[in-house]
Amino acid sequence: MNVLFGLVSAMVVGATPILLAAIGGTFTFYAGIFNIAMEGMMLVGAFCAVLGSFFLHSWFLGILCAVAGALIMAGIFVLFAVRLHTDEFLTGIALNLFAVGLTTFLLRDIFHVKGAFTDAGIRAIPAVKLPLIDGIPFLGRLLSGYNAIVYVALLVTVLSAFVIFRTRFGLRLRGAGYNAACLSSSGVPASTIRIWSLIVCAVCCGLAGAYLSLGYVRLFAENMSAGRGWISLTAVILVSGNPWGIAIISLLFGFFDGLTVFLQGSRIPTQFTAMIPYVATLVSLYLYSVRKRRQA
Amino acid sequence: MRKQALSGILGVLAAFAIGALVLALQGFNPVATYGALLQYSLFSGSGFTATVTRAVPLILTGLSASIAFASGPVNLGQPGQLVMGALGATLVGLFVHLPSAFLVPLCILASLLGGALWSGLAALLKRAFAMDEFIVTLMLNFIADYFALWVITYPLFDPSASTPMTRPISTAAWLPDLGSVNTSVLFMVLAAVVCWLIMSRGRSGYEWRMTGQNSLFARIGGCKVNANYVRVMLVTGALAGLAGGLMIMGGPHRFVKGLGANYAWDGIMIAVVASNGISGTFLYGLLFSALQQGAIGMELVTAVPSEFIDVLQAVIVLVVVAGRVSLNMVFDRLATRRKLKESAG
Repeated sequence: MNVLFGLVSAMVVGATPILLAAIGGTFTFYAGIFNIAMEGMMLVGAFCAVLGSFFLHSWFLGILCAVAGALIMAGIFVLFAVRLHTDEFLTGIALNLFAVGLTTFLLRDIFHVKGAFTDAGIRAIPAVKLPLIDGIPFLGRLLSGYNAIVYVALLVTVLSAFVIFRTRFGLRLRGAGYNAACLSSSGVPASTIRIWSLIVCAVCCGLAGAYLSLGYVRLFAENMSAGRGWISLTAVILVSGNPWGIAIISLLFGFFDGLTVFLQGSRIPTQFTAMIPYVATLVSLYLYSVRKRRQA
Repeated sequence: MRKQALSGILGVLAAFAIGALVLALQGFNPVATYGALLQYSLFSGSGFTATVTRAVPLILTGLSASIAFASGPVNLGQPGQLVMGALGATLVGLFVHLPSAFLVPLCILASLLGGALWSGLAALLKRAFAMDEFIVTLMLNFIADYFALWVITYPLFDPSASTPMTRPISTAAWLPDLGSVNTSVLFMVLAAVVCWLIMSRGRSGYEWRMTGQNSLFARIGGCKVNANYVRVMLVTGALAGLAGGLMIMGGPHRFVKGLGANYAWDGIMIAVVASNGISGTFLYGLLFSALQQGAIGMELVTAVPSEFIDVLQAVIVLVVVAGRVSLNMVFDRLATRRKLKESAG
C-alpha cells in the first residue's frame, strides 16, 4: 500500500511542472506560434522564484517574481518574433540559450556560487491539506497534502480547457492559429492574440519554474529545468494541444519521472533510471506515429 | 554575402554595446573588461593559440548544425553525437594497440562512426516511424549523456581517480602539439574545407541546399530527397562525433565526466548566427571561442564573472538574427525605391 501511495505522489510531483508548461504551450500552439521557449521561461522562472523567496522572505512573492521573470522572457519573444518578424524557432533557441546564460551569470553575480544555490532563507511553497477530503481515510492520503502549486496546476488545466473551447477569447485564439489573415480581416489583429497567448504561456511557465525551485526542491541549480520544457512541447504536439490530453500525458511522464526516483535504491544503475523520462518521450512519439498511420 | 557581413558586424557591435551597458549598470568598467577579454584571447601568444584550439569543437559542431539546418533536417543532437564520437575514440584508444600512424586514423574513424551512429538512429526513427528528428535528437542528447556517464562510472572507470573518468588512452593516439597549437586544429580546418567543397562546389551539396529551401522543388527536380535526408543526418552526426574524438585525442586524452557539457548548444548557436553558411560558421566559431577563452582572463583581471560571456553570446545571437531580418527589410525597401525611381524616370 505504501508503495502505491509513494508512486502516486511521485507521479503527481513529476507531472506538475510538465503539465503547467504544456498548458502554457498549448495556448501558443493554438495561436499558431512555434514556441520552443518554454524551457527558458521555466528556467528563468525557477531562478526568479528563488531570488524573490530569498530576498523578500515570502514564497508568495517568490512565485510572483517567477511569473514576472517569465513574462520578461515572453516580452523578448514578442519583441523579436512578433514585432521584428525574426524566425520563431531561432528566437526560441536564442531565448533558451539566453536563459541558461543569464541564470548562471546571475547565480554567480548575486549569490556568488557556482552550480547551485541553497539556503535556509529560501521559503518553500507550503503543502496544502484539502479541508474535507483530508479526513477521509484512503482518499485523503491519495489526494490531499500536495504542494499548493499542484492544485493550481489542476485548476489551470480545467480553466484552460474552458477558456480555449468555450469563450470568445478562445475562439479568437484558435482563429489566430487556424487562419490568421481571416481573423485579422474580421477586426481582431492576430498579432495581439498571439501576444496574449505568449503572456498566458509565460505565466504558466513561471509557475512551473517556481514549482521546480520552491516546491520540488528548495534550491536553484544551473540548468535545472533539465529538458522539461522540451518534454512539455512534445506533450503538446502529441495531443495537438488538447488540455485534457496534456493532463493525461503529463501524468504518464510524471509516472516515469516518479519511477526514476523510485528505482534509485534498486540495483539498476542510476544513470539508466535517469534516462527513463527521455526514453518514455521517444516511446510516446513512436506510439503517436503508429496511431497516426493507422488513421490514415 | 556583403549584406550578411555588414549585418553580422553591426549586430556583433550592437551586442557588445548592450553588454557594455549591462556591465556599466553592474558597476564594472566596460572598457577594461573588454580590454582584458581581447588581451587574453587574441593579443597574447598563449591566449591566441588556446583560442584556436578551443575553436575546434565549436566550429565542428557548428558545421554540423549549419549543414543540417541548410539541408532541411533539424538536427539538434550535436551534444549527444559529440559525446558518442568521443566515446568511440576513447574505446579504440584504450583497447587497440597499434603504431601512431594507424591508431590516429582509426580513432578518428571511430569518432566519426560514433557520431554517425547516434544521428543515424534519429534518421532511422524518422524514416521508419515518421518521428520528428528535432525532438528525437534532443532526447537522444540526454540519453547519450547518461549512457556515457554510466560507461565511465562502471565498465571503464579508472580506479585511481576520484571522479568518474576512464584511464588515459594509448599515447600512440595522442595528437601532438605543433609548436603551441594542437594538431587537432589541422583536422578541423581540413573538415571545414571539405564541408565547404561539398556544400558550395559539389553536386550533393547543391541537392541538399535545394531540399532545405524547398523539398518539393528538389523532389520534382529529381533529387532523392529521402536518401539525401539520411546522408545529411549521417554526415552531420559524424562531424559532431569528430569534434568529440578530437577533444579526447588533443585534450585530456581520456573521457572525463562532463566532457562536452560546455559545448552543448554552442554549435547550434553558431549555426544560427551564421545563418547556416560554412564560412560564417568558421568565423563565428572563432569569435565565440575567443569570447570563451578570454572570459577566464577577464574574470582574473576585472572580477566580472566569466558567465557574463554566456549572456553576451546569447545577446549576439538574438541581435544578429533579428538585425539580419530588419536590415534585409531596409535593403529591400531601398531597392524598391530605386526601382520605382528608375521606372518613373
